[in-house]
Amino acid sequence: MVFIYGVNFLESRLVTGALTTFYGIGPSVCRTLMSKFHIHTTARVGDLGDRQINSLAEELSTMTLENDLRRQVVDNIKRLRDMGTYRGRRHAMGLPVRGQHTRTQIMTARKLNKIDRRG
Amino acid sequence: MRASPQLFARSVWKGPHIVPLPIVRAKAGERQPPIKTQARSATILPNFVGLIFQVHNGKIYNDVRITEDMVGHKLGEFSATRKKFSYKQTKNK
Repeated sequence: MVFIYGVNFLESRLVTGALTTFYGIGPSVCRTLMSKFHIHTTARVGDLGDRQINSLAEELSTMTLENDLRRQVVDNIKRLRDMGTYRGRRHAMGLPVRGQHTRTQIMTARKLNKIDRRG
Repeated sequence: MRASPQLFARSVWKGPHIVPLPIVRAKAGERQPPIKTQARSATILPNFVGLIFQVHNGKIYNDVRITEDMVGHKLGEFSATRKKFSYKQTKNK
């Protein structure tokens, strides 16, 4: 088991898979992080040296991730709503915000566009 | 103060979209009259804070009081152009 940013990961797990479990790290950010610390794309968590793990953890602690990031997203939506903008109103109604058509295919907006947005 | 995403969509060299608005500053003690305008695309500038605008939505003029958060957004964002759908039962079929 390897301890990174408050979570234990199995040594057999890919570093890519481990990093992308955090909210706020997707494939793209993961790639930049790994190239920054010279980690191969197919490296496993067990292959990492102590220094790599430490520097990775240090970098992660400076980033806005997980609950901080979720709160930031919610705050931004709330700010729009409190101001009374069109975008805030569309969030509150659960409809597309950026001028998309609403006749069909608004499932993503229905699911995600809320005042207290999750995920 | 946070730059609005509206500004990111626009080239920097153009600067904000400034529309000459008939802003008349009231003398001290007098009430500032609201500014009636149809310029929905006008960017809200820092010196608008505290003023009341009447922004046209295509039909009527909606009152908008400018707060500090609104700087960088457009006037039209605060004046809804669409009516909310409400089902009305038809009597004579």
